[in-house]
Amino acid sequence: MKVVLEHLTKIFPSRNKKSNEQVVAVNDFTFEIPDGKLIGLLGPSGCGKSTTLYMISGLQKPTGGKIFFGEDDVTELTPENRGVGLVFQNYALYPHMTVKQNILFPLQNLKGEDKLTKTVMLERAYEAARLVQIDDLMDRKPHELSGGQQQRVAIARALVKMPRVLLLDEPLSNLDARLRLQTREEIKRIQRETGITTVFVTHDQEEAMSISDMIVVMRLGVLQQIGAPQEVYDNPVNLFVAKFLGTPPINVFEGVVKGEKLYIGEQAVLDVKGAADQEVYVGIRPEGFITNPEGEFTTNLINVEVMGRDVSIVSKHPNAVSETIRSIVDADSAIDRDATTVSFSLKPHKVFLFSKETEQRIPFEVK
Amino acid sequence: MDTAVVMQEKDLQKVTARQRVVKILVKTLTYVFLGSMALIVLFPFYWMIISSLKTLEEYRRNVPTFWPEKIMWNNYTAAFQIADLGSLFVNTVYVGVVSTILSLVITVLTAFAFARLEFKGKGLLFAGLLATMMIPGEMFTITNYQTVVQHFKWEGKFVALIIPFLVSVFYIYLLRNNFLQIPDELYYAAKVDGTSDLKYLWKVMIPLAMPTLISITILKMMGSWNSYMWPKLVAGKDGLHDMITNGLRGASFVNPDNPSEVDYPRQMAAVATVSAPLFLVFIFLRKYIMKGVSRSGIKG
Amino acid sequence: MVDSKNKWKAWLYLSPALVLLGIFTVYPIFNTVQLAFLNGYNIWEAMDGKMFTIGIDNFVKVLNYPGFLTTLKTTILLCVLTVPVSTMLALLIAVALNSIKALNRLLQTIFFLPYVTNSIAIGMVFATMFNMIGLDPATGIPQTAGIINNFLSIFGVGPVNWINPGSTYEANMFVMCVYIVWNALPFKILVLLGGLQSVNKQYYDAAKVDGTSRARVFWRITVPLLSPMISYVLITGFIGGFKEYSSVVGVFGEGMGPTGDKELQTMVGLIYDSLGEVGTGEGFASAAAMILFVIILAVTILNLKVSNKKVHY
Repeated sequence: MKVVLEHLTKIFPSRNKKSNEQVVAVNDFTFEIPDGKLIGLLGPSGCGKSTTLYMISGLQKPTGGKIFFGEDDVTELTPENRGVGLVFQNYALYPHMTVKQNILFPLQNLKGEDKLTKTVMLERAYEAARLVQIDDLMDRKPHELSGGQQQRVAIARALVKMPRVLLLDEPLSNLDARLRLQTREEIKRIQRETGITTVFVTHDQEEAMSISDMIVVMRLGVLQQIGAPQEVYDNPVNLFVAKFLGTPPINVFEGVVKGEKLYIGEQAVLDVKGAADQEVYVGIRPEGFITNPEGEFTTNLINVEVMGRDVSIVSKHPNAVSETIRSIVDADSAIDRDATTVSFSLKPHKVFLFSKETEQRIPFEVK
Repeated sequence: MDTAVVMQEKDLQKVTARQRVVKILVKTLTYVFLGSMALIVLFPFYWMIISSLKTLEEYRRNVPTFWPEKIMWNNYTAAFQIADLGSLFVNTVYVGVVSTILSLVITVLTAFAFARLEFKGKGLLFAGLLATMMIPGEMFTITNYQTVVQHFKWEGKFVALIIPFLVSVFYIYLLRNNFLQIPDELYYAAKVDGTSDLKYLWKVMIPLAMPTLISITILKMMGSWNSYMWPKLVAGKDGLHDMITNGLRGASFVNPDNPSEVDYPRQMAAVATVSAPLFLVFIFLRKYIMKGVSRSGIKG
Repeated sequence: MVDSKNKWKAWLYLSPALVLLGIFTVYPIFNTVQLAFLNGYNIWEAMDGKMFTIGIDNFVKVLNYPGFLTTLKTTILLCVLTVPVSTMLALLIAVALNSIKALNRLLQTIFFLPYVTNSIAIGMVFATMFNMIGLDPATGIPQTAGIINNFLSIFGVGPVNWINPGSTYEANMFVMCVYIVWNALPFKILVLLGGLQSVNKQYYDAAKVDGTSRARVFWRITVPLLSPMISYVLITGFIGGFKEYSSVVGVFGEGMGPTGDKELQTMVGLIYDSLGEVGTGEGFASAAAMILFVIILAVTILNLKVSNKKVHY
């Protein structure tokens, strides 16, 4: 089932009665989620990603715009009539029910011609439980389960009614680091096996990039960019997206384009064919540096951190926006640790230019 | 698992319309239910007030009026005289204030000892105190009545109304818990600075525990205002030491023209007068009362 | 805690409370139990140094007391009829209050109002509301108009003699039950509403997404999640219900019945009445109080047993 958002907008009235300030949580979102894909809604807190998810679920009503499931306009439908499964951030498992009762609960709500027999319900519950591998925990209560197990129960409960769309709100945020890695693979697997269009919300770009078929980057209620993770990473449309994706984060410098050459400080560091003369922000991915004693770009060396496969070089530059610059190079690169400076040449496709005014990407030709 | 079938457009509209109707219906029913319950809850108060302002003749009519035709303020002055409400007020306020102050002092000292001081048998003693809360008050009343009347010869004295109920284990429990929430470090710091226990109590713990103390004060005052049984037993027969509730129930409001008929408007005027202070306290200190009550379940 | 060298200080702070508790709380527990088991106890003879034999005469006297069974019946009925009704009603009101935004504060305040009342004073108001219409058949004196009967006459019912002389036990009990429920609501609403507000909203969102009907949400989610509060409210309600007394005095006066003949006597009323027989009534009162205590204890234990099975903590 594809999900289409058309000019979706959500405005919250101000909490303070006296001021008329409104909060625009989601501003004019339009995008399409293709059928059977896993989509990550990504952004810092307050970007409207959870609000978007809740509007898709029907728990919150949009102020404007429309939501379609396939060809159906579901904007006015209440959650139960939409056929969505929702997994809450803290799971919201009913504490007084066993795992089995929790999973059965949505099925027992069905009425009229949808009503199922007890045997069918149990079959479906066990099927869902097997899918998330908790079929041996069916008689436990939620408080007897670990965080990861509770998460699986919550997913099983959402899946058991065979939703048209599965929604997950920060599915990994309550898990410890080790479980997080494991669970995100699990979510990917479950999504592949069921083929249900799945939307999940996260503020963790690594999490989103690692499992999504497509990511949607948002900021302050405004949609920034949609695309496959690698595509967005390689081609950020603006400075925000470039900064938000990638660990360690992208290095940003103030620079100038003059005569199709990019200057950072006095140094001409790169040929940027096709870019007009102007002041720019320069984003260079940490992996965009190559150590080269004859390199065009020289920075003040502070520290070299060996990380096994790679080496991380921490340096400083007067035109850098952030305190330090971090570049990641091959472990076999020759680096003089005692030197006061280090010189690099740059990989052109890892360098992005952004307008200083609009922070939008400025394209240039890469040879 | 397969996904559900696509809904037809007609179905969609039907479902949308139905859910809207259900929503409005539920909201309406909720408000109708709450509204009618609120009316039921309020009605006795309304009836008390309008009845207290009617003439006996108007009150007596077979077709009731919902607003007095002639507002009889002098029902109130009459009620004051008949039930001697003035001196009952003075008695009750006197007993209430004195017992509240003494009770607060004792409660604070005891709660402080249990919360901050170390002594042998503390846990056991505290558990013992809590255990007494399970015993119904009537068990105490019987012996206390004997003690106060026969042994102490306090019958007909205010002291009989004040002393026996000064200590409330529940208040001690409430305040001790509140004191325990105050971090130990504050106490250590005070000790290091050479502050005495009493000064620490006065300057640090009491201000921090103010909301609880206010709750206790209100509940205790309300208790005096509503006390009925104990004063009836020990206040003596002369009526000089009666509490307001006893005076109210005991006074006979009769129609001067027909001594066997109750003059309900005047009685209601007296009832309204007795209820008024409670409402005033409630309006101004609602937060503290509700907080104290939700933790207790004990009236007064 | 600071290890204070002068441990006597703690005892100094405790002394006023301990002395008073000793005299008015601890001593009475033992003394009342003792009184209950002293045959033919009489305080005047006791003061003269007379010793009494230990036995169960007082209990026998209570059980053989002519009005005892009616008293017990009234007490139990007032409790059993009102506690479930007021709890259910309070639960519905709390759930409804929790589901609305507009007028919430105002309604909360209104529903709490009966708590800050004097139960005798408002009992008198209820008495005027339930008064009968027309002439008193016995005396021919015009009776005041009772608004409840006026209201019922709209539906062609009545007039019912609720509380006046000649009224039935059932009618009297109905009035008492209405008053007691009215009086018991605020505390229960307050506790249950507090419980509801601490329930995680996401349980309800989850139920909504799953299309759970309102009735099912109420019985399968709200009630189980609120069960500790419900059990608390029920236990305190039963304890309070068995000690019902001043509400009856409020409505009927100290006669505790339409003709002042103690038709609606309760256990607590029985205890106080026998205390009135100064010098000789204490043994009887103590025995009655102990019987009441045992009943309350048994019901509370039963309540706790049931809750342990049903309550989800």
